Parts: sequence; C-alpha cells; structure tokens
Amino acid sequence: MNYLKKNNRYPLGIWIAIVTLILIFLAWLMQAYSLLDWEAAVDLGVQNERFTGDAAERAIADVERGVAIADIVWALPLTIVAFVGLLRKKYIGFITALMVFAICVYFPLFYLFRESMDTETVLAAVLLWAIPSLLGIVGLWVNRGFFNSN
Amino acid sequence: MIETTILTWIITIFGAITFFPLFGAQLVMIFNPKGQKAKDLIIGKGADWRDRTHFKSALAFAWADIIIILPLLILGTALVLSGQEWGYIIWISLGVLSIYFSILFWIMEKEYTYKLAGWLAYYTYFWGFFLYWGIGAIVFSTIQIINH
Repeated sequence: MNYLKKNNRYPLGIWIAIVTLILIFLAWLMQAYSLLDWEAAVDLGVQNERFTGDAAERAIADVERGVAIADIVWALPLTIVAFVGLLRKKYIGFITALMVFAICVYFPLFYLFRESMDTETVLAAVLLWAIPSLLGIVGLWVNRGFFNSN
Repeated sequence: MIETTILTWIITIFGAITFFPLFGAQLVMIFNPKGQKAKDLIIGKGADWRDRTHFKSALAFAWADIIIILPLLILGTALVLSGQEWGYIIWISLGVLSIYFSILFWIMEKEYTYKLAGWLAYYTYFWGFFLYWGIGAIVFSTIQIINH
C-alpha cells in the first residue's frame, strides 16, 4: 500500500480521510437542516418519516430525529476537530477522524438492516459514508506513523 | 507497550458487564425476532404500534451491534490487555459510539423505558452504564495514549 503514502503535502491515505470528512460534513448539514425544518427535509428526501403521520410513522420519525440530534451535538463537533486536526497533521485529528468513521460505518449498516428504509437512502448512506469511511480508516492506519512524528 | 493497570481491568470488566447482556439480547433478536423473548427483552411490552415500529429499529440495531460492536469490543479489549496502543484507539471509537447511542436513546426511548424500568434500572444497566463506560473508556484511553 505504498501508493497510499506518496503525496507532496499529505499522503494519499490522508487525502482520502479528508475527502471522506467533507462528505460526512454534508450529512451533518442535512441533519441540521432536518432539525430546523423537518417537513421540508422529508419533502427533499433527506428524512423518511413525518411527525404528522400515524402513531407508527411518528415513532419512526422520533428515531430519525434522535439520530439527527446525536449527529449534531456529538458527531459534528468531533468531525470539526478531526478535520482541523488532520489538516494540521495532529495526532488528535487522527484519533477523532477514526471516531467519526466508526459512527459512519455503523449507521449505514443500521440503515441496511432496517426494514422501513428505502433503497435509495440505504445506497446513498453506504456509498457516500460507509465505504469512504472504511477507506478513510485504511488510509489513516497505513499512515499512522505520519501522526506519531507530528 | 502500554502498561495494564487496575483501571484497565475495571473498565474491561465494566465493559463486559455492560455490553454482554446486550449482545445476548441482540442474539435472541436476530435468531427469533418475532418471538416473545425478543419482544420482552428488546422491544418492550407496549402498544401494538410501538411493538411494530420498534421492531424495525431493534432488529437493525441488533445486526449492526453484532457485526460491528461485538468484534470491536473483543478485539479492542484483547489489544488493550496485551498493551497495544491500537486497543485504546478502538476503545475510544467504541466509547464514541456508546455515547452516541446514549444521546440517541435518551431522545427516542426515555419516555417509554424510564417508566417501564424505573430510575435505578434506567440510570444503570438499561441506559446509564453505556454512557458511563463510553466516557470512562475515552478518558482513560486518552490518558494512557498521552502518557505512553
């Protein structure tokens, strides 16, 4: 995996992690928008269930809102620390990026097994976040020595 | 090599007490998702609509926990106990996930589970232990890595 280490400013593996964090920022942006205007987010296809539906639909919307709040209060700050840390080549960036990638591998898998999710959402979550996060973990692992010396 | 201390063992044992009953319940959910035991352990004995909706989430959480959390907990703990830095990094990642779930379940479930379980069970093995373990694992692992 030497090609993952070769680059002028950052090794390729770190670039993969940085680009993945940018993709993840887009997810948090959508979650923030959902919390501001849930119904509009459902119309856009960012969320699946409405709070105006029947009891079952409201309960699933509660799960989605819980995920959105957890993303904004916990995962978003970590993503910011990871992004700044990686750009500044700090070890804390390396650690927090791994934390964020762990969340972003777990949740698409959760969506994959959830019956009520539509296929497009699952595919988007896997392709935009889970697979890049796995690549990001590999990229960081290969370049772990880069952070030990910074 | 990072030295194993008494705190390492406390967090290891606390992690086992916290997570393994959950994994047991998740396995029941995976192998017999429609059964009464899964309903009692994971979904709760609420109204019919609640059982149907929580079933969809509970089965997904069960699969994701068994595929990701269980192997990471075993691997991370094994690496920590053998003094490897990567074990602590895995513990930190698990701690982050554990806190993430604590926030998520506080929002989506507290109104049901708190009433069902009572405050003592809720703030211990129903919900609290996952938050406490997550915070403990992150703080302890970070200190161990910094001091290494």
